This record gives sequence, structure tokens and C-alpha cells, in this order.
Amino acid sequence: MTVTSGAARGGAGGPFSRKKGKSREKMRMNMAKSRKAADLRFLPGIIPALFLLVWIMVSTTGLIPTYLLPHPLEIAEAGYAYILGQSGEGPYAGRFLSDAGASLLRVCCGFAAAVAVGLPLGVLSGRLFVIQRLTSTTVNALRAVPGITWLPLAMVWFGIGMRTTVFLVALAAFFPVYLNAAAGARQVNPLLLQAGAMMGVRRLRGTFAILLPGAMPHLVTGLRLGLGISWAYLVLGELTGVPNGLGAVIMDARMLGRIDMIVVGILVIAVIGRLSDHLLQGGMKFCFKSARRMT
Amino acid sequence: MRPQLRALTFERERPREKILQIDRVHKVFHGNGSFLPVLEGISFQAEDGELICILGRSGCGKSTLLKIVAGFLPPTSGKIFLKHKSVEGPGPERGVIFQEDALFPWLTVQENIAFGLRGRGRDKKSRASEVERFLGLVGLTEFRNYLPGEISGGMKQRVALARVLILKPEVLLMDEPFASLDAQSREEMQNLLLSIRQELVHTILFVTHDVTEAVILADRILLMSKNPGRIREEIRVDLKRPRTRDGSDFLHFSRRLHESLRD
Repeated sequence: MTVTSGAARGGAGGPFSRKKGKSREKMRMNMAKSRKAADLRFLPGIIPALFLLVWIMVSTTGLIPTYLLPHPLEIAEAGYAYILGQSGEGPYAGRFLSDAGASLLRVCCGFAAAVAVGLPLGVLSGRLFVIQRLTSTTVNALRAVPGITWLPLAMVWFGIGMRTTVFLVALAAFFPVYLNAAAGARQVNPLLLQAGAMMGVRRLRGTFAILLPGAMPHLVTGLRLGLGISWAYLVLGELTGVPNGLGAVIMDARMLGRIDMIVVGILVIAVIGRLSDHLLQGGMKFCFKSARRMT
Repeated sequence: MRPQLRALTFERERPREKILQIDRVHKVFHGNGSFLPVLEGISFQAEDGELICILGRSGCGKSTLLKIVAGFLPPTSGKIFLKHKSVEGPGPERGVIFQEDALFPWLTVQENIAFGLRGRGRDKKSRASEVERFLGLVGLTEFRNYLPGEISGGMKQRVALARVLILKPEVLLMDEPFASLDAQSREEMQNLLLSIRQELVHTILFVTHDVTEAVILADRILLMSKNPGRIREEIRVDLKRPRTRDGSDFLHFSRRLHESLRD
């Protein structure tokens, strides 16, 4: 008897039991999520680890000669000297900070310029038919030109160094930022804007409180793609013979036959690129509710 | 609760101010070279505190009419007056509850309700207590920190109701707000709307195609016909409140409405 009544009470309808059930469900969902996350934390490391294993094997067995691909230990040594060594100990020792600093500065300047122009222009062209008509043909024609084609012209215009690189980075990063911002602004549910207007939200506040948050997933995608391509064009810009920067180190090492330094350069760019992507995503999530809750 | 109820019925007996006037509204849609008259000569007035249901089959232009009153669409000719002032464009004195989900998905229940209060020149504390009050009014206090994606359709419409009511609109425009809910939630929402109306007297224009819903809610029903949309009949619903869905008066009334809706 008591068992039955207890079960009936537990299963009884009424709004309260349902509400509790819902919050419990949510809690359970979160727990499941975190357990899953703990189980899968090692997953991203699998491919690099396997890669390293194969590399060690082919290098120790001599399957691939070391003048084509040095042993990982050599790479580690070169990397150690490059990053932590005192300058003067070797040709590349201790150069890391100044190279990375120079490269970061170039990427930041170029990417910032791309965002400053691409984001507002993209959002405008996504919302306003006139702007879209005005810009889309030009932008898409320019987009068809491979970024590397600009290199000779950029060298003539800006010479070798900072300005050429920044120009290339800005140009390359502009397109994904612009296109995704336009797509994002276009697909914002018009009902949300109507709802805002009905609640007395004027245009300017509507832009910042409704339009941009509504477009946020696309904006973040555009920024991430833009930043990724910034690193690619950074190296392109630095291959032209600038004295410092991560791309310059790679080019320099090629001329001196230091394969190990080329690989170090590649790895450093991979790590910094990945970190900067994390930082961008984290920063957006830290700054904007909509990025936190919708991406 | 009691005294408020009595006050409401007492007020009902007096002639009341005509708060909303719809004056000979026509609407024609233009589409690739052809004209489609949607609304023809719609005129009516709503008294302060009245709940008017606009009842009609799909395609009769009832949602278009509501959008015109809301200011989302301009009428081809005719005028809307709110308290004798002509209506141009949307504004917070005419709150709209949409049929679909129109909450901001990146804001929690609480933040959605508070959205319209921002920039209205009130201090944070009084805003927070207002939000608190309306959260309680629609029974969502426990769900304040949930996102719209995490709650049910019925709860979403409660949030939609609260975020509009908090702005103290003159009229409430509801466009088949409960049409996409299941039968139980729909009934719950109808009861909620009626109970809220006892606490905050609002003039409500309620668009629906559901006869039962209209009879449960309305003080007056405007029956619309199709092609072009006209008001065919005006029916005063003088059933006593609270109305039960299975009373004989109620069923009789619904049957009559069903019949007039059919022909």
C-alpha cells in the first residue's frame, strides 16, 4: 500500500513535479556532458602522438634519410636552442621571442584592419540591399584573385617588410570576415527585429542588441577563418626576405640547409596558430553572451 | 482577488473609452503584376479593457490586420488610431505576441523579460523588482536562468507574454499565440491570459481560427470572411465568467459559431 502511494506521489502530475523533473533532467544532462568530456580529453592528442611515433620509427631505422627529415630529437634540440637558448650560442639561438613578436605584431595589425573594414561592411551588405549590390561584384571579383598574386605588386608598393606583410594579411583575412558577417546578418530571424521594434528598440540599439548577437555564430566563424588565413599569409609575406619573423626563419633555414629549423618553424607556427584560435574563441565567449550561449 | 474582480465587472457596466479605432482599413498586396485585395473596409473600435477575438479561417487576412495594427505593415488606405493618435510603425504601446517563437535565443528567460525595460530611464533596482514580479505572474520564477532553447513551447509563450506586459502596453496584439501548442498547454495558457487580465486590465486583440478559444476568451468576436477579408459578423459573447468548456451555454454558442464559420 505505502509503496503504491509513494509511487503515485512521485509520478503525480501537477506543475511542480514537472518543473523539478525538468531541472533534474538538466543537471543530469550536464553531468553526462562533463563525464563524456573527461573521457575524451586525450582524443585530440592521438593523431599527433601516432604521427610522432611513426616519425621516430622511420628516422631511427633510416627509412627516410636525416637530410630530408631529421630525427625528432634533433628537432627538439634545435627547438630548445631557438626558444630557450642564449643569443650568440648558435645561429638561431634565442631568436624566438623577437621573431614571434614581430610575426604576432604583423598578424595582429593585418587581422585588425581586415576586421575593422570587413565586419561592418559585411553586416551592412547583409542587411541593406543597396550596399550588397554596391559591393558584392567587386568583392567577389577580388576574391577570385589568389592572394599570392598580390605579392609582386605589394612589394613594389610597400617594399620588403612590415607593410607588405600586413597588407597581404589584411587582404586575405578580409574575405572570410566579410562574407560570413554578411551571411550572418542576412539570416538573422526578421521576427527578432520586429520583436525589438515592437518593444521600442531603435535602430542603433537594435543593431547591437539584436542584429549582432543574432549573427554571432557566423561572425565568430568568419573571425576564426580570417585569423587562420592570416597566419598563412604572414608566412607568405615574410618569405620575401625580411630579417625577422617566423616565416623569415623558415626561409633563412632553407638557404642554410637547416632542415631541422624549417621543421621547428612549422611547429611553432602550428602551435601559435592553434593558440591564437583558442584565444580568439575564448575572448569572444568572454566578451559576448551570444558567443557564449550560441556557439 | 475578489474586489479586483468586482471592480472589473463594475467598470464593464459603464460606457468606456474607445481606446483603439480601426477606420476603413484596406490592404492590397501587389505581386507580379496582379493585385490581391486582402482586407476591405475593416472598421471597428475596441473599448478600454475589452478582449476582442478576430475569428476566421486561414487566409482571411486576420494576421495581416494584426500586423497593420502593430505597425509592421502599412495599410493601403485607412487609419489606425490609438487613443485618438494615428499609428505609424511599431511601438511599445502596442505589445505583440507572435505565433512563432520570437524570443532572443542568447538571453535567459529573465533577460528576455527585462529586454524592453532597458534604456527606459529607471534604476536597476526597480527594474529588477519589476522583472521579478512578471516572472512570478507567468509562473516562471524557477526557470529564470534557462535559455529559450531549454524550455517548452508553452513556457516560451509565457516569456513572450511577460516581456510585453512589463512594458505596460495600451493594447495587446496576439496573433494565434497558442496555435502551435498542444491541447493541454493551450488551455493552460488561455486560463493564464484570463487570470492575468484580472490583475492588469488590458485591451486585447486576439487573432485565432479556433472557435472554442474565441468563446472562452472573448468579450466580443469579429467573424471574418475570406476573399477579400471583411468583418462579416460581430458577436457579443455574454456568457458568464469564469466560463467552462463543457457548459451547455458554451457548447450552444460554439455550435452556432461553427455554423456561421462554415458558410
